Amino acid sequence: MRRKTFAITAIALLGLVVPASAGAKTIIGSGSVAMQPVLQALFAQYTKQTHGKVKFVYTANGGNAGVKDVQNGTSQFAGNARTPLPSDAGTTYIKMFLDGLCIDVNPKNKLGNITIQQVHDIYRGLITNWNQVPGSGLETTIDPVGRDTNGGTYNFFLQAVLNNELPSSNVNALTSDGLVANAVKQDPNAIGYDGLAWQGKGQKALKVNGVPCQSSKISVEPLKYPLSRYLFLVVPNSGVSPALQKFIDWARTSPEAAPTILKAGGVPAFNKKAKK
Amino acid sequence: MEVEYLPEDGPRVPDQRAERLLGALVCTVVALLLALIATVFFRAWPSFAHNGLAWFGAGGNVDEQINQIYLSGLGGSEGYVYTFHAWQLLWSTFLITGGAVLLALFSSLFVAVFLVEFAPEWMSNVLAPVVRFLASVPSVIYGLLGVLVIVPFIGNHLVTEPQKASVAGVISLSGYSLLAGVLILTVMIAPLMTSIFSDGIRSVRPGWLEGSLALGVNRWRTTWKIAVRTARPAIVAGTVLATARAIGEAVMLAMVSGSVAFAPNPADGLIFIFEPSRPLAPTIVKNIDLLGSKPANSTLFAIAAVLLLSAATFSLAGWAARRSMSKYGATA
Repeated sequence: MRRKTFAITAIALLGLVVPASAGAKTIIGSGSVAMQPVLQALFAQYTKQTHGKVKFVYTANGGNAGVKDVQNGTSQFAGNARTPLPSDAGTTYIKMFLDGLCIDVNPKNKLGNITIQQVHDIYRGLITNWNQVPGSGLETTIDPVGRDTNGGTYNFFLQAVLNNELPSSNVNALTSDGLVANAVKQDPNAIGYDGLAWQGKGQKALKVNGVPCQSSKISVEPLKYPLSRYLFLVVPNSGVSPALQKFIDWARTSPEAAPTILKAGGVPAFNKKAKK
Repeated sequence: MEVEYLPEDGPRVPDQRAERLLGALVCTVVALLLALIATVFFRAWPSFAHNGLAWFGAGGNVDEQINQIYLSGLGGSEGYVYTFHAWQLLWSTFLITGGAVLLALFSSLFVAVFLVEFAPEWMSNVLAPVVRFLASVPSVIYGLLGVLVIVPFIGNHLVTEPQKASVAGVISLSGYSLLAGVLILTVMIAPLMTSIFSDGIRSVRPGWLEGSLALGVNRWRTTWKIAVRTARPAIVAGTVLATARAIGEAVMLAMVSGSVAFAPNPADGLIFIFEPSRPLAPTIVKNIDLLGSKPANSTLFAIAAVLLLSAATFSLAGWAARRSMSKYGATA
C-alpha cells in the first residue's frame, strides 16, 4: 500500500518536472513596471517565433527591486528605467529601447504645453494653483501625483525634472504607473507623470517645452523630447545564458522586434530597418 | 503467566508516534516564531539604540528623515544616519485603526444582534455565510474599490475648493485621505467582528433568555441586558482580533490613505478627515526598495518591531479581559 502511494507520488512529481526540462526554456526576470508592457509584447512575440521553446516569467516589482533580484540571483535579468547607481554593483546595464516620460493632465484641463521649469515648480510645491499656469483654464488647486520611491520612473523624474530635490509633501506618491494614470483620469485637477506605454484614454499628454510626447519625437541623438530616456535590461556580470543573450540581441537589433516595441509604447533605438 | 501485548518485531511505542510527530511540529512552529521575533528586533536594534524614546516622538518630516537615512547608507558605515521620529506614522495608525474599530464595533454589534435575535430564519441563513465570506475577501480588492470609487468620490464631491486652497503646497486634498482609509477599513473588519459577535450571542444559554422573557421583560431589553452582556467575552475577542488586523493592514491603506507622512490635526476642524496620512504598515510597503541601505533597513525593521509588539500587546490584553469576564457566562 505504502509502496503504491510512493510510486504514484514519484510519477506525479516526474510529470511536473519533465515537460519543463524537455520542452521549453523558462527565463525568469523582474523589475520595472514602466517597461512591462513592451517587455511582455516582446516576450510573447519571441515565444511565438521560437515555437514555444523559450518562455518568460516577468514580475513587475519595480526597477530597484529587480536589480536586487539580479544581484542575489533570483532573476536572470531585470528591467530598469533609470541609469546605473553605485548600489548596482555586479550588474551590467544594456540599453534596450527608448521611452518618453509624459506629463499628463485630465482632459478637462485646457493646457497644451508645459515647461520643465513649471513641472519642477509644481512638484516642489512652489506653484499650487492652476491659475498660476497660463492656459489651463482652471482656477483650482493642483493635485500633483507621482510615484513612490520604488522604481526607476521616480528616479528618472527626480534627476530630469527636480534636479535631485525631493518632491514636495503635497505630491501624492502612488505605488504604480497604472495608479498614477488612474488618478489623473479621475481627478480634473491632477497632474501626473508616466511612460509612453501608459498613454491612452482618460489622460492627456502635454507638450514639454513645445515638443509633444510622441514616439516619433523621441530619438537617441539629439534627444528631441526633453524627457526621453533609455530603458535598460540589467544582467549579472557573471554572465548570461545563451538563450537570454539570443533574446536580448533579437529584441535590440532585429527588424521584426521594432514594430512590436513601437506598438506596445516604446521607441526602438538600435533595431535595423526592415529590408524592403 | 505473561501476556504478549505487542508482536515481538513491531515498533515499541506505536501509540506515541502521532503525539511525537505533532509535538515536534508544534515545537518547530514555536521556534520559528521566536526566531522571527529575534530577527526583527535584532535588525531593528540600531534604530532604537540611536534614537531612544525620541523614536516615538514628534519632530521633523518622516519622509525626509527616511530619505536621509537611505542616502547615508550608500556611503561608508561611519556616516550612517539613524535620526527618525515616527510620531506622524504612529498618530496616523492610531487615528485610522481607532476610527475604523469604533465604527465597526457599533455597526457589527447591531448587525450581530439583529442576525441572531430578530432576523427571520431564512434571512439569517442567507446572511451568516455572506458575512463569513466578506470577512475573508483579500484586502487588495477593497483597495481597488477604494481607488476606483471612494477616493475619486471624496476628492471630487466632498472636498471643496476653499478647503483645498487653504492647505495648498503643504498637502493635497485629492481624496486620498483619512476618511477613505477609515471607511474601507471599517468595511474590511466589520464582517470579522460580526461573525465573532454573533457566535458569542448565539451561545448564550437559552434558559437565561427564556427566564428573562418569562419575567415579563421585553425582547429588546432581554437581548441588550442578558444576551449582549453575557456575550461580552466574545465582543472583546472580536474587537481585539479586528484591531490586530486593522493595525497590520498595509496594501489597502497604501492604496487609499495618501502617501505622505502627515499627522492630521483634529484642531483643523472637519477638514482633518480629508487630510492624507500614512500609518506604520504602509510605510514599510512604500519604502520596501530602500532595504538595500543598512540604516534604512534597520529603520523599516524598527517599524515592523513596533507593529509586532502592538499586535502582541493586543492579544495579551484581549486574553486578560476575556479571562476576567468569562466567569459571567458564555465564552468566545
